Formats: sequence, C-alpha cells, structure tokens
Amino acid sequence: MNWPALWLSLQVTVLATFFIVVIGLPIALFLARTAFPGRIVVETLLMLPLILPPSVIGYYLLLALGRGSPLVEWFQIRILFSWPAAVVAAVVVGLPLMIQSSKAALANVDPRLEQAARTLGAGELRIIVRITLPLARRGIVAGIVLGGARALGEFGATLMVTGNIPGRTQTLPIAIYDAVQAQRYADANLMVLVMTAVAFVGLWWVRQLERPRPAPAATQITRQEETDATALVR
Amino acid sequence: MQPRLFVDIRRRFDHLTLRMQFQVEAEILVLFGPSGAGKTQTLQAIAGLMTPDEGIISLGDTALFRRRLGETPINLPPRRRRIGYVFQHYALFPHMTALENVAFPLGNSAQARRRAHELLDRMHLAHLAQRKPHELSGGQQQRVAIARALATDSPVILFDESFSALDQPVRDQLHADLRALQAERGLIVIYVTHNLDDAFAVGRRIAIVREGQIEQIGPLAEVCRYPANVRVARVLGMANLITARVIGIDLDRVWLDWQGWRIAAALPPQLPALGATVTAFIRPEEIWLVYPDRPLTRFADHNLLPGRIVEWRPGRRLFQLHVAVGGVMLEMAHPYTAYTDLDTAVGNEVQLSIHPESVVIVPETSQTTHDLRSHPSDHIRHAGISG
Repeated sequence: MNWPALWLSLQVTVLATFFIVVIGLPIALFLARTAFPGRIVVETLLMLPLILPPSVIGYYLLLALGRGSPLVEWFQIRILFSWPAAVVAAVVVGLPLMIQSSKAALANVDPRLEQAARTLGAGELRIIVRITLPLARRGIVAGIVLGGARALGEFGATLMVTGNIPGRTQTLPIAIYDAVQAQRYADANLMVLVMTAVAFVGLWWVRQLERPRPAPAATQITRQEETDATALVR
Repeated sequence: MQPRLFVDIRRRFDHLTLRMQFQVEAEILVLFGPSGAGKTQTLQAIAGLMTPDEGIISLGDTALFRRRLGETPINLPPRRRRIGYVFQHYALFPHMTALENVAFPLGNSAQARRRAHELLDRMHLAHLAQRKPHELSGGQQQRVAIARALATDSPVILFDESFSALDQPVRDQLHADLRALQAERGLIVIYVTHNLDDAFAVGRRIAIVREGQIEQIGPLAEVCRYPANVRVARVLGMANLITARVIGIDLDRVWLDWQGWRIAAALPPQLPALGATVTAFIRPEEIWLVYPDRPLTRFADHNLLPGRIVEWRPGRRLFQLHVAVGGVMLEMAHPYTAYTDLDTAVGNEVQLSIHPESVVIVPETSQTTHDLRSHPSDHIRHAGISG
C-alpha cells in the first residue's frame, strides 16, 4: 500500500471539497435565482469540465498555471508541479457536479416560503441561512459528496499539472497507474479496492439522501415533546 | 388612537391595471371579487412583495410606500413593514416545528420561544408545538400560520384566500376565531376571498373588486341590497337581472314597463330619469307564487305576473323554480315546505307576485346596460371611501 499517496489524496480531496463548496454554492445560488442574458452560455461553460477529455483540462490548467499566465506573472502563484496544483485540478472537475446538484435543489425551494420569511421580518441573508439552504440541504450535500468523490478520483489533468513525483505529488489514482505500469499488482489491487470502497460509500450515501424520507410516526413524537412543551411554558 | 391603513396605488400589469384606493381601520375588510381581479396583488403591495408604479401606502403616520410626483420616494422592504400575511397554502417552513415557525419572526431567545408558545396556545395548538407542518391537518397548519403572523406584532394581518382549501366546518371555526382575534387585539384585517359565504362569515365591510378596481365599498348588507351598478350585481351573482323602461315616478314607487307589464319598483337612492332604460334585480327568495283558490293578502297583491314553470331543481337549503315570464326566465327559491299545496309540476301555468320593495333598481344602468366596457370613465365613481 502506498501510504504517502493515500495521505496526499485525502489532503487534496479535503481541500478541494472545501473550495468546491465555497466557490460552488454561491454560483449555484446565483444561477438558481437570477435570470440574465447569456445564462445558458455560463451554465454550459461551467458544465464543460464534465465532458472535456482530462488531457484538455490539463492543458488549460498548464496554460493557466504556467509561465506567462497572469496568475503567475501578477499574483506570483507558482504551484505548477507541486501538490496544490492537484487541488486546482480536483476543484475544476468537481465543481460542475456540486453546482448542478445544488442548483437544482435550490431552484426547487418554494419562493413563497422566502416571501413569507420576508413578511416575517427576515433579511435576505437570514432567509438563505434559515430557509433556502436547509430546504435544499439534501441536494447540496449530494453535490458535495459527488464533487468530493470526483476530486478524489481525478487522474488525467492532475497527472499533467503535478507531474508524478512519488511522495510529493503522486495521488492515489496516479499511484495505481504507476503500480500497474511497474507490474506491482498486489499494490494496485489494494489501492483499487480502497478507491472502489470510497466511491461505493459516497454514492450509496447520496442515494440515501435523495430518497424521500418517511414521515416520522406523529403520535410517538407528540407524547415526548408535549412534556417538553409544558416544561417550556412553566 | 388606532392607526389606520391607507392604500392608494396604481400598477400596470400586462392583463390588468390595478387602481386601488381604500382605507381600513381596526376591522375586517373583505376584498371580494373574481379570480384575477387584483386582490392578491393588492395584498402583496401592502406587504411590500410587489411594488406599485405610483401611489401611497401608509399605516398611521408611517408611510410604507410613497411614489408621487414632487415627493421623496419611500419603499420600505417587507422585513421593515412586518405586515402579517397569511398565505393561501399556509407557507409554513416545512423543516421547522410549529413552535419554530411561530418563533421565526421573534428570534432565537428563550423569551421568543415563550412568546411563540403563548401564541400557539392562543390558537389552541400548544399540544402540537413540536410537530412539523406535514404532521398537522390543514386547519391546524392554518392556525400555526396565523400564530406566526401574529408574532410579527403587526397591527395589520392580511388573509389571502387563506381558508379556501379547508373543509366547511373547519372554515367556520377559523372564521369565528378570526373575528374573536380581531376584536381582542384591535387588528386591522384585510380578508381576500372569492367566496361570498366566506365574506359574510367574517366581514362587516366589503369591497367589490373587479378588473383591478374597487367597484363599491361599504357595509356588507348595504352592498348586497343596493349594488352600486350592474357589474357589482353580476359579481355578487345576483339572479333575475331584468331590463325595463321607467314610465312613472311616484312618491314611493318607480313604475316600470317590463315586457309590456306595468310593475312597481322600490325608489332607489338615486332616481332614474323618466323614459330611461334601467336594470333591476329581484331576489329569487322574494318572488311568490299566488294560490289561485285563495284571496290575495295585502302583501301579495302587487306586480301579479303570469308564468309557466320550466324547471324544478332541488338545492342545498331551498328548491329552485325556473319560471318563464313572457320571454324572460325568472329564478325562484323557496324552502321545501313552501307551496306544498300547489302543483308545481313542470309545464304548469302559475301566477307570480313580487313585492315592489323586492324590485331593486341598480343605479346608473341606463348608460351601461348595453355595453359594459365602453365607459371606463365611470369605473371609479363608486369607489368612495366610507368610514
């Protein structure tokens, strides 16, 4: 088992997921609520990483992170061929899944509930935090899990922008590729198993989230909470 | 002093121009009219969910909205107006308990929860405080919604067809509660409905809304007895609208020529011109059948007309007779115990009696009978403010 690769993959995944949420949620919220000209173009561009060949994404990232790019020349962000570049690649490929899933969930929230909240004295931020996000939480969590899983599994673009430096930029999927190339099948088997297990658990969880929840048995709840209620009044 | 809510707004939509002017004190004003007449938009404008093109909305001395030439515009956002709004489909937050819903406008403090509990208790729902909306019946959900609107501490509560999805008994109960609540707290209530029974159940004052405007506003009994014009009579579903010519005016009667019969009508508040064509309505309950073999009572000895029974139809409380009088079909409605001695079979010839006070001339009909839409200028004439 290639422990450094697993550890690096986990690090990259956690960081990438964080950025996927921070970047994806506001975009999803904006797209779910605002109609503007050229919206379909923006949405298409955001979905593009889902279907572009990884090598194409990798090539774009090389351009964006390489010498001559504004990021490097103006902001001094030099991360090409180091592990943060893997985070960037993972974010790019994971973001569409996050946006797609949470946008659909956010658009599904009944606008009348938000109207009602407005008449009840809530500001826009409070409405988003207390009404919109909680009501869309399943789609959002599904988006996070899918985006995170995709980030974990990112291979092609990562290979192009991080190089393949064992112990420094080699993530688990790349380590698997390496092991197979070197005919270290025992190693590969174990890593493949780990990846499959993670993917399975992630998808299974998403399916759970998407399944409509059965209503809790009302009578059972009442008795216990009636006592809570009376306690409150007292 | 109780503040009053004053509304005078205009807003152009594609299909309708809203021009609303009225004021409400601590009372229940019913906005009544067909769907699409602009009732909901009016409530939304008051709550701040819709912005009128121009006008003013004020509560007491506070302007909630003002956009008029030469004045600084004001448009408070909904959260600063805090107008209680009870939506048609309750709009409870499905992920919160009843208590959390009611506490939403109050904040997160322990005091907020206590106050929310008091309000739930007032709506007889304390025992259901921890239920989620989907675990409550429609009536219970609506009570939670009312408690939540009360929690805003607004003196104004707007009801937008709020009870229309509920069963009649539940609705009756809520109407009674609403009247009690209004009296107890001196609330300014606007109750939107397209159901006349609901209007009678809650309101004392009614505004008839049609095509974005108020046609008539006043006490319910008065509006129903004296519709300001034919449009109001139609919106109120008045049966037996007849067209006749004025042939004489007495001290206490107007004489009409209706299909060649000379009939007496009550003196309307606004006298018609001699020779004018007017519209009058006769309530189905106020057309009597005359027993051919009995002497006429003093009360029945008026406006005797021959007719032929065309249809007999059972109703919920009354039975209906459709009687052809000349070329016009009149509708009658009477208790099932009435006229049991009389053969009311379809096809029978009968004699009708209509008391003159039951023939109510609708004002201003001479110019509007033939083409209701050709005189937009007289729309607002009856939209005076009473009270």
